Amino acid sequence: MKRMLIIIVDLLIMVLILFFIVQYANTKMRESNERVVEDFEKMTITAEQIIMNYLEDEQHLCDIWANYINRSAEAGSPMTGEEAISFIRKAKISSSIYGHLIFLDKTSQSGISTNASSKDANDYSVSYRYLNIFDNIDEISREVGKVNLTRAYTNPQNGVQSMAFLNYVKVLDESDGQLSEAILMRVEPVSILEDKLVFLKGEYENVEISLINKEGEYLVHGKSLKNSNFFEYYKSYNEADIADYNEMRDEVTSETGTMTMNNSKGEECVISYTPLKSMNTWFLLAYIPTGELKAANTVVDWLLLGMVTLGLLSLLAFNYLILMLYNKKLAEAAEAANLANEAKTHFLSTMSHDIRTPMNAILGLNEMVLRDSHEEEIVAYSESIRTAGKTLMGIINDILDLSKIEAGKMDIIDVDYSFVSMLNDLVNMVQGKARDKGLSFDIEVDRDIPIILHGDEIRIKQVITNILSNAVKYTKEGSITFKAGFEKMEENPDSVKLIISVKDTGIGINPKDMDRLFVAFERIDENKNRDIEGTGLGMSIAQSFLRMMGSSIEVESQYGKGSTFSFELVQGVRDWSPIGNYEETFKRAVSERKRYRESFTAPDARLLVVDDTEVNLLVFKNLLKRTKMQIDTATSGNEAIALYKRNKYDAIFLDHMMPDKDGIETITEMKGIQDSPNTLTPIICLTANAISGMREMYINAGFDDYITKPIDPKRLEVLLFEYLPKEKIAPASDDSSDGDCFIPDFVWKIRSIDVNAGILHCGSQKSYMDTLKTYFDSGQKNAEEIEKYWNGKDIKNTTVKIHALKSTSRVIGAMELGDFAARLEKAGEEGDVKTLETDIEKLLIMYRNLLTEMEMLGSIDGGVEGSDKPLILEQDIKKTYETISKLCEAFDFDGVVETVKSLEKYRFPESESAKFETIKKAVDNFDYDLIPKIISG
Amino acid sequence: MKMETVRMAKRMLGLTSAVAMVFCFTACGQKAEESTEFKPALSSETSCQIKVAGNYSNFESLESEFERFYEYYPNVSLNYVYLDDYSNTITSALMSDEAPDIYVTTTWMLDDPKMAPVFENAEILSDPALDINLECIRKGARWTLENGDVVMLPIFTRSYGMLVNMDLFEKNGLEVPDNYSELVDACDKFKAAGYETPVMGANSLTVAGMYYPFAFPLFCDGVLKKPESVEPLNSMEKSAGEMMRPALEKIKTFVDKGYMDPERCSNEIEDDYNAVIMRFFEGDVPMMLGSGDMVSGTQKRESKSEAFVANPFKYKFYVVPIEDEGGYFLDSVNLFFSVNKNSLNLDMTNEFIRFIMREKELGNMAAIKRLITPTNDFSLDEVYSSLEEFPEDRYISYQETGLNDAVNKEFLAAAYKVANGEMTIDAAVSGYGSLWDE
Repeated sequence: MKRMLIIIVDLLIMVLILFFIVQYANTKMRESNERVVEDFEKMTITAEQIIMNYLEDEQHLCDIWANYINRSAEAGSPMTGEEAISFIRKAKISSSIYGHLIFLDKTSQSGISTNASSKDANDYSVSYRYLNIFDNIDEISREVGKVNLTRAYTNPQNGVQSMAFLNYVKVLDESDGQLSEAILMRVEPVSILEDKLVFLKGEYENVEISLINKEGEYLVHGKSLKNSNFFEYYKSYNEADIADYNEMRDEVTSETGTMTMNNSKGEECVISYTPLKSMNTWFLLAYIPTGELKAANTVVDWLLLGMVTLGLLSLLAFNYLILMLYNKKLAEAAEAANLANEAKTHFLSTMSHDIRTPMNAILGLNEMVLRDSHEEEIVAYSESIRTAGKTLMGIINDILDLSKIEAGKMDIIDVDYSFVSMLNDLVNMVQGKARDKGLSFDIEVDRDIPIILHGDEIRIKQVITNILSNAVKYTKEGSITFKAGFEKMEENPDSVKLIISVKDTGIGINPKDMDRLFVAFERIDENKNRDIEGTGLGMSIAQSFLRMMGSSIEVESQYGKGSTFSFELVQGVRDWSPIGNYEETFKRAVSERKRYRESFTAPDARLLVVDDTEVNLLVFKNLLKRTKMQIDTATSGNEAIALYKRNKYDAIFLDHMMPDKDGIETITEMKGIQDSPNTLTPIICLTANAISGMREMYINAGFDDYITKPIDPKRLEVLLFEYLPKEKIAPASDDSSDGDCFIPDFVWKIRSIDVNAGILHCGSQKSYMDTLKTYFDSGQKNAEEIEKYWNGKDIKNTTVKIHALKSTSRVIGAMELGDFAARLEKAGEEGDVKTLETDIEKLLIMYRNLLTEMEMLGSIDGGVEGSDKPLILEQDIKKTYETISKLCEAFDFDGVVETVKSLEKYRFPESESAKFETIKKAVDNFDYDLIPKIISG
Repeated sequence: MKMETVRMAKRMLGLTSAVAMVFCFTACGQKAEESTEFKPALSSETSCQIKVAGNYSNFESLESEFERFYEYYPNVSLNYVYLDDYSNTITSALMSDEAPDIYVTTTWMLDDPKMAPVFENAEILSDPALDINLECIRKGARWTLENGDVVMLPIFTRSYGMLVNMDLFEKNGLEVPDNYSELVDACDKFKAAGYETPVMGANSLTVAGMYYPFAFPLFCDGVLKKPESVEPLNSMEKSAGEMMRPALEKIKTFVDKGYMDPERCSNEIEDDYNAVIMRFFEGDVPMMLGSGDMVSGTQKRESKSEAFVANPFKYKFYVVPIEDEGGYFLDSVNLFFSVNKNSLNLDMTNEFIRFIMREKELGNMAAIKRLITPTNDFSLDEVYSSLEEFPEDRYISYQETGLNDAVNKEFLAAAYKVANGEMTIDAAVSGYGSLWDE
């Protein structure tokens, strides 16, 4: 498109130049043509003078003859006609010139000639009887010097086209002796006159001179002028109305001028005309084809034009070629840059992920060090590692986000979210940092902000976090004020415009740096802020996110005094209930931190944790590992209710948002159960929405408290400390003996066993190993017993046995088996024979497979792997693989790891297991590029 | 002696023509095709001046041929000169320093001893070396000397007949008559339709008047069928007057039936050229008698007739279907060209003659002048298209009859007097020889 535009513009310029040249050339040519025509007209006048001179000379010669004859008469000795002719015969020099003496009194218009008739050598008589040239005899002037000329006629004596100069003479009539008047004619061939005009050919090759009389009849006839009459000729080949025709006729026969007309071939020709002076009877016409007259002027101009056109076209072609060449180079460069950028993006995402994986390990291990170490110095070092690690993780996450944005793989995913929950997370995150730097952190939140909004919570949180973090980073003293407000939108009643601003008393931004504020990897005032860590990505990412959501960050800043970052964002509203007084809740949260106690253990305490996400359950359990509490988990409301009915718990953590049956419905159902051992058990809400009004809502729903996700371990411990029976809480044990107990490698390798869970359940590694051994020892017998009861159709005892299997399996960490057993137990309890019939065999196989894997516990054992896992369905494999592929494309390698991990819980059909093993291997090697290839086969 | 030769030539003409005719009809067609494209025989660079002298004050049709010739010979300059008192000056001109290269000749010059130099100076154009395509000329228009030499080439011919208002025929649902009975029938029907005088013309004693075109070809046919009548007719023997009777009877019949009205024609048509044409253009005359010259004047007068401009109609020339077998095409050459054998540029002059002696060029000239072409190709002018299909055996060459000018005059006088009721047919027949009053 652009190329076309350039060519069009070029051509336009070219056309304009050519237009100018043509106009200019035309003007010049017109001027030149006008000059040429003027010159031609001048030539006509010259020709007229030459002709006139000649005619006057010839008339003069005629007059001399006449005078001589007349003087003789005047002198009293008049000549007779014969004498007069005889005199003329002697006087005339040229043989082509005849003298005729025509007697006026004779009606036959006859007389004597100087020359005999060509038909008869003796016949000197001449007759003009059949030539009507004396029809207007009165017109012959007697004035001296006046040219009296006949029309062109055929000389009767010799048949030659001639003209005659006339004068009157007085001769003696021999018959009566009287003087009588006769006309003396000097007869000359017209060709003599024509020859006089030949000289003009030198200047104009095709000029033709004609002489016409008033009627248009020719004396001299140019060959191009057809017809015997000029005016008839004009009429034949030129369309002119009567008025124009008459005007032309008048002009030609009265003045000097030039006209153009068409000749018989339809070509334009120029005719200059002028009357023969002092005659008023003959008119000179100079004819020339227009083409010849003006040809010389056009040739040069067209040549010039042609050359200029050619030159411009060459220039255009050359420029176009150069342009193409540069474009090609640019395109190649752009392509290379794109490839490099892609490579960079890929590198960044891969690298950041690669760093994150070991970083997780470092931070995890550091956390353990923090928990397990009692030496203050070590704890201090470890704290530093945690801080640095978290910073590094932040940077890495930023890079990952940026690479996703650059790759166009960052999507805005709108969900319903609790604004106050988000606020809480933000405040929690920043408040501590601000306090650590001695900054005052003030919040002003509009109480009427709707409680449930619709938007991309994660990205908004990220944006605000970035702004807040920056505010903390770049403020040395003073305060940070976070404001959240909103405006209703008239045009969109289902949405509000959130107005968020963060004001700090920090270093401010130099106006000259404003432009660079949102540029990735640009750090402002690098010299001054060298001690402040960061990649310079935060604001760029935040701005990018806001752009994606149709907004942008506004900055007002006074250099050295502080800045205000703000943005407005349209969010959908799902629940218009106001969030209420946030500040109060905020204060409460602060106070909770103050009540924080040292860590504790509670090996006798038993918890139930309900969350539809297994990872959350795992995290939860890991967090409380050190407390040695017994933790049961459920992934759905129904499962939780079943456990609630059966087991006595000291506390239950129930997720609010779950599919099918959410937390509120589950708790309502639980509270409705009369004979539960947990009537008095505190139930704590696990939620992403909590604070202020939320708290009331949860309490009204029957919850005793809530804790926000992601779970803050300190807060969790605070909660447990508050709700667990005090007798089950013991101060944190210094005993680390269980760490000495060796858990053999093969145990760790048994995939169907969660060793950590087992250790946790068992309270220590040693106890776990003991439990494991007991489990193995009694295994075969137990399996046989189940088989026996089942074969004996003893459903009740079968159920009891399965219950035992469930509990023991869970204790050792064989959760799948435990769960499977639990399902069958349930079936047994419900008398669901059909399920038992279908699954009991599978259960036993799974059980026995586990036992086989544990064989080394007995003596020197080997194992069969995986057979106790549930078989994954073909369509689930396909679906999950698709998910993995997408995650890989989005560089979401965490997601890949999680998903692959979740797949490990299943047994794969033989045809698929090799593939899955390859995927796992790729994950272990961080070879994420390979994964989609493996999946696609 | 020279005179004798010419006279002999005239007499021999019919014979030679008849002989030539037989093979000519076959040869002409082939030749015509071959000669469609003119192939210059001389260098196209040749530069010279050629003068054509004639008695037409205006000869635009020839001048247009000059232009066409220039396409082959751009450096040749052709020039037409009108000679005053042509019949007197042409002989002198031929002897002068400025003698024409080509000059106009006519048939009467053959009879005039004073004109002998005209033919003495004439190039023999039938010389095969000149390669002039003489065979394209219609037999009736061809003039060959006794010895087979050709010195005069016909440029235009004329005939006698009538201009037919095609629209009137069509309007009245009539076909143009092919024979006498159809002619009478058409006249009756026109009269019935209110056209008082269906056949008009100039009531004059000229060949362009109404009687000559109407009945003279019939008279000629009678003479040709009775060759022994030629001599008595030419010598004005009273008894020869009987030859006029069939033609005079036809005239009388038409006048009596009111198909022709001499008195009305005298009143409404002043002359045999301009007035005849202008009257015809009034649009109410189905058939207007006249000569080919009348037809040639039509084109320029169309725009001069207010009636014709207002209500133009289609018209064509036809011979009068005077007999039951149809009419006779009286072929008469209007104008010949001869070449001055003393021409300084004889080769180029002959080349020009070779150029125009082709169906195309002769047709072009005839079409411009609106005369009849001397060839058999009538396609160039629609007004003469009726001649295209005209049967060859009904062509009559006036020259073939061997009649002299005096016979013409006697016939014209007889016809005029009978038509105008000045004389009975019998009186006219018996008065032959003394009917023409100077």
